[in-house]
Amino acid sequence: MNNKSLLTPSPLIPPFRPEIIQSLIDGVDRYNPDNVSILEEYLGTQLQNEEYDLMANLAILKLYQFNPHLVNDLVINNILVKALTAIPNPDFNLCLYLLQEGALNDESIAKLILLQQSLEEARYQEFWETYEKDDAYRELTSEAIGFDTAIRKVILTAICMAYQSISADLLRLYLNFVNDDDGFEAFIQSRGLTIKDSVVIIPTNYDNEAKPTVIRENIKFEQLTKVIGYSNEL
Amino acid sequence: MEEYHEGYEEEIDLAEEIDLLTNNNDDYAGVEEDLDEEGQMQLLILQQQQYAQEIPEVVKNFIIYFHRNILENNVYELHGIYENSFNRLTEKFYGKTPWPEADYIAPLVNDDQVFLTLYRELYYRHIYSKLTPAIEHRFHSYENYCDLFNFILNSDGPVSLELPNQWLWDIIDEFIYQFQSFCNYRSRLKTKTEEEIALLRDNIQVWSCYSVLNVLYSLITKSRITEQLLVSKHGGDMIEAAGEYGSRPLYKMLGYFSIIGLLRVHCLLGDYTLALKMMDNIELSKKALFARVTACHVTTYYYVGFAYMMMRRYADAIKAFSHILVFIARTKMYHTRSYQFDQINKKGDQMYALLTICIALCPTRLDENIHPHLREKYGEHLLKMQRGEEGLQTFEDLFLYACPKFISPNGPNFEDPNALTQTIEPHHHHAKIFLSEVRHQLLIPTLRSYLKLYTTMGIDKLSAFLDIDAETLRTQLLIVKQKSRQQKWTNGTLLEGEYVTTSDLDFCLKQDMIHIAESKVGRRYGDWFLRHINKFQDIIAGMDLRS
Repeated sequence: MNNKSLLTPSPLIPPFRPEIIQSLIDGVDRYNPDNVSILEEYLGTQLQNEEYDLMANLAILKLYQFNPHLVNDLVINNILVKALTAIPNPDFNLCLYLLQEGALNDESIAKLILLQQSLEEARYQEFWETYEKDDAYRELTSEAIGFDTAIRKVILTAICMAYQSISADLLRLYLNFVNDDDGFEAFIQSRGLTIKDSVVIIPTNYDNEAKPTVIRENIKFEQLTKVIGYSNEL
Repeated sequence: MEEYHEGYEEEIDLAEEIDLLTNNNDDYAGVEEDLDEEGQMQLLILQQQQYAQEIPEVVKNFIIYFHRNILENNVYELHGIYENSFNRLTEKFYGKTPWPEADYIAPLVNDDQVFLTLYRELYYRHIYSKLTPAIEHRFHSYENYCDLFNFILNSDGPVSLELPNQWLWDIIDEFIYQFQSFCNYRSRLKTKTEEEIALLRDNIQVWSCYSVLNVLYSLITKSRITEQLLVSKHGGDMIEAAGEYGSRPLYKMLGYFSIIGLLRVHCLLGDYTLALKMMDNIELSKKALFARVTACHVTTYYYVGFAYMMMRRYADAIKAFSHILVFIARTKMYHTRSYQFDQINKKGDQMYALLTICIALCPTRLDENIHPHLREKYGEHLLKMQRGEEGLQTFEDLFLYACPKFISPNGPNFEDPNALTQTIEPHHHHAKIFLSEVRHQLLIPTLRSYLKLYTTMGIDKLSAFLDIDAETLRTQLLIVKQKSRQQKWTNGTLLEGEYVTTSDLDFCLKQDMIHIAESKVGRRYGDWFLRHINKFQDIIAGMDLRS
């Protein structure tokens, strides 16, 4: 039985982050507009290699915030697309906070916010419907290799946190595998789940266990020092 | 536009060499010329005023005394001068008018430029707090801060000046306050005269983000405060770590306060991760340096708590707000007489509002020292916030009341004629994003109240109770589950932490059946006895005294 949540925060220092990026975002160099292209290139690698580095991407948005002439809308979109794959971490909003007032009305950003809302509110079928009905969405996410799979992982994690067993049909809808049985089975098996009689069985974990507990008070030694002091005075 | 770029790049280079400030002063010459005519007019008027109304004798004596103690580095006396005498004289003579201009008191202090710079710091701060600063005041105050930091950072070797910690904190605090105030002032072009707009357009470097960050980072570098904090945490040679500058209290404290200053600046800019990252080497404990100055202590926790809240780390935010509110409640009697009493109270009240938001989103048992006050002040708000859609307005009201004054770093685009009629209001941007977050969770309180009544329940039955369809209920349950897990700090830097359960109510789904589990808090006998033993001991001690 694992005693850790299935959720993990976006790492402060991802293992694949190159030395040069690390020293750049750690120091005052992060404010130097000349460095924006290094960070943008690094975002490119993240998109290619299915990696994600929130802190480095926030550093790009920071430079944009101070130097509006540097802003590249395509880069902002890609950063937001990557942040979608980190839900339910707050990354997407942390990026939005750094954008200029009014940016929320930008057409592409508004589309991505729509996707974010349906993911955050666990309306997964709606997410896929929105995503597939308009080519503009696929275009927005086209540079992020493995975007669909990443989103499926986000959804499956949420399901594994709440369910111990779930109807395979329902899960197929959530994961957008409606006419793709093989794909569905391969995916959930790769995540360690099994199907039996059209029901997907999810092993118990920290999040889906739901065990009643009694929290007992825990008195630390420091709380007693005063009382022990009194006894000396007697 | 070209000039714009160059200015920024130049400033960046200088960040490394830490002599940006001199450069800014050169740029500033243009303003002086612009102001010339008007400035001279004002000078004349002021001169006349001064002749008519001489500086009172007590104020003259005070300034002479003040000057002498600055020269002697008498920190103890300066403490009294700064916290008491100056404020008393302000009340008596300068409640509605500025203090005498530095030029008028110059003869009293042998034209001591360092003293006059420090004096102007107080002079402008007084205008900001008691009167309405005009654009000239804003520009000149910036120039004066440049002079002050230039003197501290770019003299030959460390300066021998010593000032009370409270004043050093106030210098950093006020510097950021005036920066924020300027950004908001610049964002409202609608009400400005043409001259004012021209001045703003031609002096884009005044109070620019880069210049403010440069000052704060330069103070941090010069004082080697990061190295000092690392040595105090892990051990090592402090004298070597501190170096020539950092071993002097003035530099050490300015460097330290600049870290807290950056925490604040980054929050004002909406960069919450970077804000908390500034605190990497500072531990949140009572022994930390920030606790030496109450205003700094309060500021630190306000911004740490706020940043956590914006990062959805409500449990961590609640801990931060509770800590400082308990502190304020316990020390109330000590700072009722402080000149900062009102400010601390206002921040305290804002933090109660933020705390209310946090416990609405993450129900938590509060410390008994603050719970009654919160219930009294915001109990009704809290009830409203749990009533779904109609509660949203209350969230917004409390957020706008208690959030920091966000800034838009670049100000209006002067090339764009539309910009002249628009007002940039960054707090709406932040409120909108934050509220979208709240919106996801509106149904949770209702759902929780039902779940608490059962141990197992079918999806169909519950959806009938709630009058929603089964699929919506499944969706809502997934939200409840996700929101009941939060990243929470256990050790390491403030940004670290792991996801844990933050709710007393948990459940799991087995296909169409909900299984509910509630964790209960056992009675706290030990705590009860400890409190009463202490109370009893106090009574005995009281009786001993009397007999």
